[in-house]
Amino acid sequence: MKHISKYLFGLILVSFFACEQTVRLDTDPSEAKVVIEGLITTTEDLNYIKLTKSRDFYSGGLAEGISNAVVVVNDNAGGEVRYLHNPENLPELDGVYLPETPYAGVVGNTYTMSVTVDGESYTAQETLMPVTKIDSLTVIVNEDELADPDEEEHFFEVLFYAQEPQDRVDHYLFKFYSNDELIKDNEEDIYFAEDEFIGEAIDDLPIAGFYALDDLVRVEMYSITREAFIYYNDLFNIINNDGGMFSPPPANPRNNLSNGALGYFQVSAIEMDEIIITDPRED
Amino acid sequence: MRKTFFAILAMLCAVAAFAQQKYTLNGYVRDASNGEELLGVTVYVKELKNGVISNSYGFYSLTLAPGTYTIRYSFIGYEAVEMQVVLDKDISQNISLEEESVELEEVVVTGKAPEEHVTSIQMSRNELNIDQVKKLPALFGEPDIIKTIQLLPGVISAGEGTSSFFVRGGSADQNLILIDEAPVYDPSHLFGLFSVFNADIIKDSELYKGGIPARFGGRLSSILDVRTRDGNNKEFEGEAGIGLLASNISLEGPIKQNESSYLISARRSYVDLFLRAADNDNLVYFYDINAKVNWRANNKNRFFLSLYSGRDDFSFGDDFGFDWGNRTATFRWNHLFNDKLFSNTSLIASNFDYGLESTSAADGFTWDSDLQEYSLKNDLNYYVNPRLELDFGYHFTYRRFAPGKIVPKEGSIFKETELQNEYALDHAFYLGAQHSISDKLTFVYGARLSIFQSVGKGDVYLYENDLDNVNPTRIDTLSFGRLEPIKTYVNFEPRLSMRYMLNPQSSVKLSYNRMVQNTHLISSGTVPLPFNTWAPSSYYLKPQLADQIAAGYFRNFKDNTYEVSVEAYYKKMDNVTDFADNAQLFFNTDLATEYRQGEATGYGLEVFVQKKKGALTGFASYTLSKAERTIDGVNLSRTFLANHDRRHSFNMLATYDYNDKWSFGGSFTYGTGKPTTVPSGTYQWGDGYIADVITERNGYRLPAFHRLDLSATLTPRKNKGKKYETSWVFALYNAYSRKNPFSLYTRVQQNDDGDIVGDGTSKEARMIYLFPLLPSVTYNIKF
Repeated sequence: MKHISKYLFGLILVSFFACEQTVRLDTDPSEAKVVIEGLITTTEDLNYIKLTKSRDFYSGGLAEGISNAVVVVNDNAGGEVRYLHNPENLPELDGVYLPETPYAGVVGNTYTMSVTVDGESYTAQETLMPVTKIDSLTVIVNEDELADPDEEEHFFEVLFYAQEPQDRVDHYLFKFYSNDELIKDNEEDIYFAEDEFIGEAIDDLPIAGFYALDDLVRVEMYSITREAFIYYNDLFNIINNDGGMFSPPPANPRNNLSNGALGYFQVSAIEMDEIIITDPRED
Repeated sequence: MRKTFFAILAMLCAVAAFAQQKYTLNGYVRDASNGEELLGVTVYVKELKNGVISNSYGFYSLTLAPGTYTIRYSFIGYEAVEMQVVLDKDISQNISLEEESVELEEVVVTGKAPEEHVTSIQMSRNELNIDQVKKLPALFGEPDIIKTIQLLPGVISAGEGTSSFFVRGGSADQNLILIDEAPVYDPSHLFGLFSVFNADIIKDSELYKGGIPARFGGRLSSILDVRTRDGNNKEFEGEAGIGLLASNISLEGPIKQNESSYLISARRSYVDLFLRAADNDNLVYFYDINAKVNWRANNKNRFFLSLYSGRDDFSFGDDFGFDWGNRTATFRWNHLFNDKLFSNTSLIASNFDYGLESTSAADGFTWDSDLQEYSLKNDLNYYVNPRLELDFGYHFTYRRFAPGKIVPKEGSIFKETELQNEYALDHAFYLGAQHSISDKLTFVYGARLSIFQSVGKGDVYLYENDLDNVNPTRIDTLSFGRLEPIKTYVNFEPRLSMRYMLNPQSSVKLSYNRMVQNTHLISSGTVPLPFNTWAPSSYYLKPQLADQIAAGYFRNFKDNTYEVSVEAYYKKMDNVTDFADNAQLFFNTDLATEYRQGEATGYGLEVFVQKKKGALTGFASYTLSKAERTIDGVNLSRTFLANHDRRHSFNMLATYDYNDKWSFGGSFTYGTGKPTTVPSGTYQWGDGYIADVITERNGYRLPAFHRLDLSATLTPRKNKGKKYETSWVFALYNAYSRKNPFSLYTRVQQNDDGDIVGDGTSKEARMIYLFPLLPSVTYNIKF
């Protein structure tokens, strides 16, 4: 249902002679804000906290990391883990803090992150929610893609099956990979869901992307809190905003960080499933 | 306030008590050629230098001391009729006015009396002449009154290609749009490209921006009162038009001559036919059907039935579709209780609904939302004497809001879900008096009492913190039975207008009005979409209030050829409905936590010059204005410019009758760029997302908007023997092909093919421009 506004917007633009152009914005740059990207999961090697800063609208390249912060995570069971900046000094991990002693998150625990940058302190608290099991993945041929593929040979679609527990409130984030490469239909897509309007049987639900024979497709399903769901929803809205004509005026996403920091501290249980693409017509 | 109201009542009673033996002259004023009632005809008593104006149903009544009087009936575009009346008993006199002959080669715009601009007590009102609208250049050749309304002083358009308009600092949902008294909740076709008003059936349309009479209520900023024609009761007539995008046909004629008539009109777009021909499986169409029956049973009783139905339907292949539409029905009974007391009773129904459908296997669903309104209105005019006219009445409305229901398709992941319906009862009592104190000074004063009740059946959730839209925590539920009041809002709305004639050519006018609005549009975009829902004032939503004062100077020049007015207004609004930043308005079961209500102000100066006679007619308007909002919880509770703030707005439109074959039309519009929200920076987060940093709402202005449209109408000479008349309208929309900004958004830098440039970390701002130069042709035939 997320796509309705896109349909509208596309309709108005495409059908009615509109054209668009790149223009130069001459706005005053705002002061740089701390951006926090934190993740604790039930899988040990996926935990990190990345610190960067916001910058002028017209700037490019990878954001420069903050390397002088003090980062600590506590849990409600009394555990405390210190995070170290880029321990192996890899250039691609600039600004990334890794736990001193690797650990896996535990369902039901509440984690508190404290980050101190240049004397300013930023905190967040999040509880690790249970995730739903993926029953299976299957492969079908997408007839439209078979007739006219966007990318050569990529006309297989993967369907997803699960039983959504109806006795608790769940929110999910999905990530899809083909041969370990992240797949999105559009660069601005985020795949997240709440279960409020969803029934128990999730059957034949197509995941993003079209795949070729022998691709290794992986689906990662993350449990997220309601706050995280709202953050992803707000983030989706701001990166897909039309400027406030039909969509609401753009606004910074609501998050769980104190002191005006941007980003989110996410805590998730992960469920994963994989399938190798084979041609279902040959069965 | 209430004291004033009773003081006025007492005063009125006193006036009535002093009345002595008098007789009444009354009747209807009609167009001689087709029997249509004429509204706003001046019925002037020369001896008394005073008169009345025929009401919305063409009825007039004058009560005078016995004597012989010269009565003059005048109306622009018609030959005035003057007659001697010996008033020694009550007289009923229906008058038919002939249209001014065309040999004069002179077009006259708008009805009403020639000097009405200056003499009328009503200020801040604009009328639209539909014949002129039809000659003006229109987008895709479809004449549209809303597009002309957007050119009036004090009116701002949301943007090109939208049917939304903003009046004197008010938002788009603060306009009450009426078709034959029935409200139209979404007046748009094709997302606002056209309005629902088919130009062929419009008789009269008026926009009230201030000094709003007591008989109107329910919206803060304006009343757009559109009335359709009754249908020719003398002879059969037909009209058809073929345009680029849509065609229409209207048929009308007598059922029984001079007594009853019908009018039926239909319009349909046919883009879908082209699409189908081009083997495109997307479907887009809209239609409108208007039907009207009008029956004069006798001079005391008249009946009308007016129906409207319009719909838009879109579908994209087999996957996805949506539709929306309005249906209205008005049944009216005009009854003369006696020579002085005219009554109109209306039964009105209005329905608005939209639906979305997805047919994909895994997440197929249908989604429906609708709202209904049923009203009973009783409006009375009591003509006490030529110096005092009363109008009073009672309006009762029942509304049902069904914000949404999801029905999953077989095998869909969704489950059936329905948002709770809301119900409301709305009672309004009003009394207004038009009171001439002297030849120069006239007052219209009155008040409206609105009693609005949000009623069951329904549950109200109480929250730990009703502003917490992240984790709304319900702590209790209040349950209400069917029609049980949940919340009652009583509001008193005083209205006052005054006109003082400085001399026969000029006057000053003052007005004050308070308006109350109890239906709220749930939308946070600039332009309302048909997928927006409405909600009543209720436990959480408070009624919106507006107080407006306006003052103006009105002057006519050169025998009423030129009308000039200057008006200043100040409007203060309370509890205007807005929504939290990032509000989730779509299918939110805790919608109440997203409401944010606050203050808004609008003030400005409007200059209007109109030429109504001669080969060249038209108007020019200039508005200097400001519109701001201050809402707790929005933009960090700091004051911000409203979406519809435009500092300067200048519009001009004109039609020129070159000869009886050719006429030309043109319009020009200029407006300060609209405010918009732009980023002050960006940041990287997660899997390659580049998000904007927002620091201020509406802190940036788009470039100015200006556009010139031109048209030429060719009416070939009527051949002898042929019973029909044809015309061609050629138009150029955006004649100098100005690239006008529609909106501005940001994205990751891409090339023309939509491929990301570089490493995908740089952003760019994109301006969307809507229409370049667009030529169009329309063919009309009248038989």
